[in-house]
Amino acid sequence: MNTAIQTIENCRFCLMCRHVAPVGYVTCNETLTPHGVALVASMQHKGSLDWTPDTLDVLYSEPDGGNCRAHCVTDQPLPAAIAQIRAEVASEGLAPSEISHVNDRIWKNHSAFGKYQPSTSRGEWGLFVGDPGFNLSPATAQAAVRLLAACGVEAIPVGRGLDSGFIPSSLGYPDTARRQAQFCIEEVQQAGVRKLLVLSPQDLFAFRQMYAERMDINWPKDILLIDLVDFVADRIQKDHIKVLPPVTTTNHLTAYVDPTHAVRLPTRFDAARILCKVLLGTPPLELFWHRERAHPVGSTAIQFMRPDIGARLTEFRLQDAVKRGAKTILCDDPATLHELRLRNNSPLRVQGLYELLLSRLI
Amino acid sequence: MEQTGLLFEMIRSELTEIVGEPHVSTNDIDRLVYSTDWFWLPQMWLDQGELPQKPDYIVRPKNAQEISDILKVANNYRIPVIPWGGGSGSQGGALPIFGGIIVDTKRMNRIIEIDEKSLTVTAEAGINGQQLEWAVNEKGLMLPHYPASANCATLGGYLSPRGTGTISTKYGKAEDLVLRIQVVLPDGHILRTPVVPQHASGPDFYRLFLGAEGTFGVITEATMQLDYLPECRLLRAVLFDDLSHALEAGRQIMTKRLDPFVIRLYDPRSTASRIKKILGYELEGAYMVLGFDGDKDIAALQERKAMEIIHTFGAQDLGREPGESWWNQRYDFYYPPQNLKLPWMYGTTETVTTYDKIENLYFAEKKAVEEGFKDWDIDFIGHFSHWFHWGVMVYARFIIRNPPDDAKEAVRIHNQVWNTAMTAVLENGGMVNEHHGVGLKLSRFMRRQYGDAWPLLERIKKTLDPNGIMNPGKVGFGPS
Repeated sequence: MNTAIQTIENCRFCLMCRHVAPVGYVTCNETLTPHGVALVASMQHKGSLDWTPDTLDVLYSEPDGGNCRAHCVTDQPLPAAIAQIRAEVASEGLAPSEISHVNDRIWKNHSAFGKYQPSTSRGEWGLFVGDPGFNLSPATAQAAVRLLAACGVEAIPVGRGLDSGFIPSSLGYPDTARRQAQFCIEEVQQAGVRKLLVLSPQDLFAFRQMYAERMDINWPKDILLIDLVDFVADRIQKDHIKVLPPVTTTNHLTAYVDPTHAVRLPTRFDAARILCKVLLGTPPLELFWHRERAHPVGSTAIQFMRPDIGARLTEFRLQDAVKRGAKTILCDDPATLHELRLRNNSPLRVQGLYELLLSRLI
Repeated sequence: MEQTGLLFEMIRSELTEIVGEPHVSTNDIDRLVYSTDWFWLPQMWLDQGELPQKPDYIVRPKNAQEISDILKVANNYRIPVIPWGGGSGSQGGALPIFGGIIVDTKRMNRIIEIDEKSLTVTAEAGINGQQLEWAVNEKGLMLPHYPASANCATLGGYLSPRGTGTISTKYGKAEDLVLRIQVVLPDGHILRTPVVPQHASGPDFYRLFLGAEGTFGVITEATMQLDYLPECRLLRAVLFDDLSHALEAGRQIMTKRLDPFVIRLYDPRSTASRIKKILGYELEGAYMVLGFDGDKDIAALQERKAMEIIHTFGAQDLGREPGESWWNQRYDFYYPPQNLKLPWMYGTTETVTTYDKIENLYFAEKKAVEEGFKDWDIDFIGHFSHWFHWGVMVYARFIIRNPPDDAKEAVRIHNQVWNTAMTAVLENGGMVNEHHGVGLKLSRFMRRQYGDAWPLLERIKKTLDPNGIMNPGKVGFGPS
């Protein structure tokens, strides 16, 4: 807890990440910024404030998308600190029931969104499908498996419907998060996987960084973690797979949406654009909120904590695309794709990057 | 104001009618967060468990018309209105010290037009500075106002306190980049100044609103001058044995119009502490960063000429890397935990004066503060960072690492330091500030600074804002 307190003390009067703070941007509310959340947490810690419905609303407004830290030159781990404070709140029985119910669901089903289907296969290569990839946007996962096969990689799907621990960690349930982490590692190990491709940036962030930082769990050194988008881009560049040339005349009106958590995995910025360029024949339209400054959509735990804010985050990204003149948006992350499709009330076409690649394979 | 009374509800319902229910907050937590800006005093006050004065309402209007309607309500009930941008002011300019309505302008964040021929941008005042910069960068342009607060401040916040950025030495202060503004007067009248700022059609009345910090009205839109992103930025650092030589070298570079975009000169104390801490260079003397930008041939020639001057003072050329390192990390000084921060007591007296007085002023202020507060083991460090043809600004900071624990005593000591520093500044021909604004912090020095000229400003204020609703207690204007 000391680290968390130190972090909120550092952040409580700091405004230096305001320009990339997504919730502050969509709400225009000073309170719902990293500074505001840290100030409320700091004052509660010092006894000047209690946890009330209003203060809890502030505490649960931070989406854990990583933007503040990605732009902090002193690398303050504010999202982790907030998760730790939420854990304290939950341990005192103060977490709102809608949040504790999500935790109960994950504890019972290992999934926030549906069912978990453990793998029974074994192989050197695995594809971690995750919870949204299995339960919310299965077409993306299926396309990914077939693309990998076309690349000559028979990857066994693992972690189908399995939460990586990110959601419970973010909600403030470290025991559930730790249990999910152990499930993930055990399933991958039992499948004999040595090279694990990860479909969702959220899960990759959990495996690479969050486990060690928030749970003191180290990802097994003998299992290589690979961002799927990096891998496919590499294979395309090396001509392991080929796609049909671009056909439509509106490719220049297609934008790429950097998914939630992309700011935590900066190597993927270029990789995703390589794939887009192959498909479109031209670089994709760039949204205003792109690459290092990409905002999350409402696909993190924010959808359970503050669904109103989650919806706005997604709506703003859709509006960003519309303002840039896009007719189609592409994304590779199942969770982000699901949110974009769910909230899209515009003529924008939301398309899965892997699905499109698969449809154009030669 | 009593939060449950009939009047409170009357006003809330009228504000809700104007901006819509989601954009009015009377929530205790919002009111608390909006009760402090980046001024040391309210932050310390909160940290010590004391509650500062909160606003009664926070409203988030979408356009100038809504602000106009809000001001009419405020006039009707004679309640204060405090414009709010990024909340990043260090002078307490956005503090609701008498309660009232905080008008948070951040929903007014549209870019209305980027004119790539005249090189201008017109934007609403609530847009975030860095987001505006990103938008113009996409066109190969820049708004050449790079303050340390760019990540958090708004366009309106650039203009209201007459801010200055890192590259002001070449491109000017924020106020120099303004072509036109739209402002809502205290009575709700919306005015837009002419498109062309340089003319001879009467006095420059629009400048009245720059530096007024919301006491004369609310700036809602501005057209700003842009520049092309420079082809090159040449940076290097040099080290002087003493401050006098460095100041004279800077003066010669400026008066010979060699057009550096930056001259950042750290005094020996700052060189030994801040430069060591942030950039990692252990140096004795006065560290100067020098930068030239634009066309690469012209910039190179300007740099060569400047270095000729530098060499006449026997300064050591440290090369490009220490200059570029400073440029790349120039805002790192402001990130915790490496910034000045609580529980320390600190403040920045950023004064400006002409070249003939600057050295005396700096040493007089330093002596007054160090001797006056030696029992508190006060530290006084400074740098000279905004250079003009006629003079330079000194950004001097005091630090007390073990201030009083008691909040009220801390306020007393803090204000004593400021009184001491400002007395030295005024007695030595300086202005009480150069770019942070006046706010609450320096309000009490305004009458003394302006002397016989002050009543004119008071008359203007009274004419524009007869009910005294606009940001009372700031810029020297008390509540009516």
